[in-house]
Amino acid sequence: MEYILHIIITLNIYVTLVLAANLPVGLANLLSICQAAFYGIGAYFSAYILMHWNLPFIVVAGVVMILTGLSSLIVSFASIRLKGDYFVLASLAFQMIVFTILYNWINITRGPYGISGIPGIKLFGKVSMSGIFDYFVLTTIVSSIVILLFDHLKKSPFGRILTAIRSDELEVSSLGRNPAEHKNYAFFISAAFSGLAGLLYASYISYIDPTSFTLDESIFILTALFIGGIGNIKGPVFGALFVVILPEILRFVGLPEMIAANLRQIIYGLVLVIIMYYRPQGIMGELKIGN
Amino acid sequence: MILQFLINGIITGILYSLSAIGFALVYNTTRVFHIAAAALYVVAAYIFLAFHDFGLPFYISGIIAIVTTAGLSILTELMVYRPLYRRKASLNVAMIASIGIMTIIINAIALIFGNETKILNKGNQQALTFDGIIITNPQILQAGIGIISLIFFFIFLRFSNFGLKIRALSNDTTLFEISGFNVQTTRLIAYMLSGVFLAVGSCLTFYDIGIKPQAGMPVLINAMVAMIIGGIGRFRSCIVGGLMLGILQALVVFQFSANWQNVITFLVLVLFLFFKPQGVFGYKKRMV
Repeated sequence: MEYILHIIITLNIYVTLVLAANLPVGLANLLSICQAAFYGIGAYFSAYILMHWNLPFIVVAGVVMILTGLSSLIVSFASIRLKGDYFVLASLAFQMIVFTILYNWINITRGPYGISGIPGIKLFGKVSMSGIFDYFVLTTIVSSIVILLFDHLKKSPFGRILTAIRSDELEVSSLGRNPAEHKNYAFFISAAFSGLAGLLYASYISYIDPTSFTLDESIFILTALFIGGIGNIKGPVFGALFVVILPEILRFVGLPEMIAANLRQIIYGLVLVIIMYYRPQGIMGELKIGN
Repeated sequence: MILQFLINGIITGILYSLSAIGFALVYNTTRVFHIAAAALYVVAAYIFLAFHDFGLPFYISGIIAIVTTAGLSILTELMVYRPLYRRKASLNVAMIASIGIMTIIINAIALIFGNETKILNKGNQQALTFDGIIITNPQILQAGIGIISLIFFFIFLRFSNFGLKIRALSNDTTLFEISGFNVQTTRLIAYMLSGVFLAVGSCLTFYDIGIKPQAGMPVLINAMVAMIIGGIGRFRSCIVGGLMLGILQALVVFQFSANWQNVITFLVLVLFLFFKPQGVFGYKKRMV
C-alpha cells in the first residue's frame, strides 16, 4: 500500500512539473531546458524556510512560489532578447549556473552533502504533516488544483495569446498585445509551480541534494512533456504518468535493478525518437512543435 | 606558474576546438542542434578502450574508434535526421529526436560497459619538464595529434571538392540545391566528418582523464560554448573559440578554483549571446 502511495505522490509531483513546463515550452514554444533549475531553486528555498520558521503550508507555498517566480525573470528576459537555438543555449546556461551554485556554495546549500532533516509541512498552526498518507492527500489535492488551474489558463485569453506567440510574435504585437509581458508571465507561473513541486518534494523526501536538479532532470521533464504531448492538459498528465509508471512496470517484469535503470532510459529515448517521427505533437497533445 | 596554466589551457583549448568542429560540421551545414554528438563522443572513447584493452596498439585502436564513430554518425543521419528532413519536420523536432538518440546510445553504452569510470591510460604518466613547466606525455600527444588533425581539416576544407561543397551548404542550403548539387550526400559527408572529429577529440581527451558514459554532455556543452563565442557559420572560429575558452577556464582555475569554472564559462556564454551573438568573427546576421 505504501508503495502505491509513494508512486502516486511521485506522479503528483511530476504532473505539476510537466504541466508547468507545458506553459512556456508547449504553448509559447520557448524550448527552455532549465525547468529542473526552478524545481531545485524551489526545493532549496523551501528547505531553508521550513527549517528556520514555523509557518503554515499556504504561507510557505506562497513565499516559495513568489521567490522561484522572481528567479525566472532572468530566463524570461533572455527569452525576449533571444530566439531559437540562442534561447535554448541561454536556458541551458541558466540551468548549469544554478546547478553549479547549488553544488559549490557550501556555506548556504551544503553542496554535495545535501540538506537533511527537512521538517514536514504544517497545515494550520500545529497540525503537522507526517506519514505517507498525509502527503498522498496533500499532493493529490495540490496536483488536482494545478490541473484545474492550468486547464483554465489554457482556455483563458492569456493561454490563447501564448499560443498566438508561437505562431507569429509580430502579429501578436500588431494586435496590441505585448509578447514580452506574456512571456514574463508564462515563465513566472511555470517557475512558481515548479517551485511548488520542489516544496512538496523537499518536505516529502526530507532530504535534498543538487544531483536531483541536474540538466538530466530538465531533459527528463521535457522528455515526459514531449512523449505525452504539448498544448493541452491530458498530454502532460499522460507524459508524467508514462515516465513514472514505466519503471514500476519494468520492476515487475523482474529485471535486475542495474539493467532496469538503463533499459528504461533506452525506452524513453526510443519512444521520443519514434514520436518525433510519427506524431510530433506527442501521444495526447494537440499542438505540433514549431520552429 | 601562470605559464603552466596557460599551456594547460591551450591544450584543453585544442581539444575543445576538435569537438567544436565536430559539432559545428553538423550545426553549420544542417542547422540541426546535434545533441547526440555527446553520445557519439563517448562511444568513440569506449570503442578505443575496448580495442586497446584487447591488445591492439594505440594508433590501430584509435583508427577503429574513428571509423566506427563516423559510421554511427552516418547511421544517425540515415535513420533519424534524414527521414525527419524529408518530412520537413521543424528543427526543434530534430533537436528533440537528437535528445532521444543521445539517451539511447549513452544508456546502451552503460549497459554494455557499466556505469563506473574507466581508465584508459594505466600506469604512471611520463612527463617532460622545462624550467619548472610540466607537460605530461598525454598532453604532448593531445597537442600533436590535435594540431595535425586541425591542419588537415583546413587543407581539406580549402582545397578539396567536398570541402567546397560543405562550405557552400553551410552558407546557403537553398542556393546549393538550386545549383544542382546533392544535398543528401553532402549532409552525409558532413555527418561522417563530424563523427571523425568527435572521435579524435574524444580519444585524446579521455586517454588522459578516463571515461564514463555520462562524460559526453559536459564536453559537448563546452564545445557549443566554444562554437558560439568563436562565431557561428565559420569553422576557423571554432578554433579561436576553443582556445579562448580553454585559456579562460585555465585562468579561472588559476585565480579562483575549478569549482567555479562552469559559472564563468556560462556567464561568458550569456554575455556573448546578449551582446555579440555573432561571436568573435562570425557572420553578422539576424538572431533567428
